[in-house]
Amino acid sequence: MPDTELEGLLRALAPQALGAVVRRYGHFDLAEDAVQEALLAAATQWPAEGTPANPRGWLIRVAARKLTDLLRSEQARRQREDTLVQWTLPGHWLAPAADRAAQDADDTLILLFLCCHPSLSAASQIALTLRAVGGLTTAEIARAFLVPEATMTRRITRAKRTITSSGLPFGMPADAERDGRLGAVLHVLYLIFNEGYATTSGPSLRRDDLTAEAIRLTRVLHHSLPEDGEIAGLLALMLLTDARKPARTGPDGSLILMAEQDRTRWDTELIAEGTALLTGVLPHGPAGPYQLQAAIAAVHDEAPSSERTDWPQIVALYELLLRISDNPVIALNHAVAVAMVRGAPAGLDLLAKLEADERLTGDHRLPAARAHLLETAGEPERAHAAYLEAAERTTNIPQQRYLYAQASRLGDAGASP
Amino acid sequence: MKYILMIPGTQQDYNAMAGNEGEQPSLSAQDMAEIDEFLLAFNQELEESGEFVDAQGLAAPVHTRRVELREGAPVVTDGPYAETQEILAGYWIVDCASFDRATEIAAKLGSGPGPQRPIDVRPVAGSEPEL
Repeated sequence: MPDTELEGLLRALAPQALGAVVRRYGHFDLAEDAVQEALLAAATQWPAEGTPANPRGWLIRVAARKLTDLLRSEQARRQREDTLVQWTLPGHWLAPAADRAAQDADDTLILLFLCCHPSLSAASQIALTLRAVGGLTTAEIARAFLVPEATMTRRITRAKRTITSSGLPFGMPADAERDGRLGAVLHVLYLIFNEGYATTSGPSLRRDDLTAEAIRLTRVLHHSLPEDGEIAGLLALMLLTDARKPARTGPDGSLILMAEQDRTRWDTELIAEGTALLTGVLPHGPAGPYQLQAAIAAVHDEAPSSERTDWPQIVALYELLLRISDNPVIALNHAVAVAMVRGAPAGLDLLAKLEADERLTGDHRLPAARAHLLETAGEPERAHAAYLEAAERTTNIPQQRYLYAQASRLGDAGASP
Repeated sequence: MKYILMIPGTQQDYNAMAGNEGEQPSLSAQDMAEIDEFLLAFNQELEESGEFVDAQGLAAPVHTRRVELREGAPVVTDGPYAETQEILAGYWIVDCASFDRATEIAAKLGSGPGPQRPIDVRPVAGSEPEL
């Protein structure tokens, strides 16, 4: 078995093995270490001795053995601290054997829910999800989020401890809680995707891995809960957004806005898959925020050019989104879409209402949008000033270069900040 | 033993890089891409040799806030630096065998594309080997 194939197999099996071990023995924090050791053993032994007939069972057996060792050394310490974690409730002693099959997707799913526990900060939820479910190394996660490895190690350790001491039984949350928790899971996957996607250039280019990982995990989730429209919506949104990646940056790494992108470089396969997913769920019941955002992305992806985009449709979708979400960036995008339909002044009126929103104070996106609409409205001087304002607000060099270039295109009356 | 490699820069340098002042950026997009590529390879090499600890580039000096205590209350000043004042623009922390090795790493960093800047190498206190 070639290396990449083995790596892929271990990656898929890791959350299943972890889920099985936690389900059976509890101790999320130690179980994670035990599974890591078992994976390491597999990575060294299987290439030499051949992959076992039941690789999943092998991993679970070895991890369970390692966990017993870890528990023995931990027990002495725990007794001193006198904090016995009540993981296994009496009814759970009759749980099925740890390596019982047909639970794969379920265990991965429960693990996702566990990693996105509400008692953790978003940063911890993301780190733990990538580590426990995604199987990324702490070093990889640290690099992706530009923090020292030691910081990430502590973040993950603390998160595991929080989950362990919360005494949660390993299982799906009750129905009442489940929707809220699923929302947290989707949000974490969305944040992981964005973290990878929003990186425009620079030494952090390898954060592409994060978008791929977010898509992979969302696929697993969609596979477990195919009926859920918001999961399908999120997956569609990721695919339809990722499809534009090849056209987002020029050969020299500079930013290219959607209106100016070479649409022949968009990935048609991803667009087809995302659109099909969306078509499958949209007719069923009320559309949630991820489905609506995916629908907007689909309208953009289907258009042959910026001018020939179905802007009225995009305005309508943003208006639905605004009814269920109070996000100023959505309001900003809505204003730009309105300008495409009813002219720049109508869009500028809507932007003016957003100036008072404190959540956008210091954000470059508002003056950037204003600059763009002012230019369209034939007010180069005010547009020039707004481009400069936007450039001064952002700390991202590629964005700054773009905004200053727009400003100097409109006149060389560049005043220094 | 850990060492910090420090690269200075002025607000003017940042302006030139971003194409501020209504001029053409002093570095073309192509130049920027070459710098990125060099830094990516440079960081990867340090990671592979196990010497990489941390590296960050800082936003332009104008985004600095200075906090001082006056008469017992914190007073915040925005952008305390003059345009031409050289301050820290970016740093690397490496964990390597000797001062000479840290100096060698700094020399390699200085040999890359882009504007030439002096690089200061300073030992990080508390990371000295045991006596």
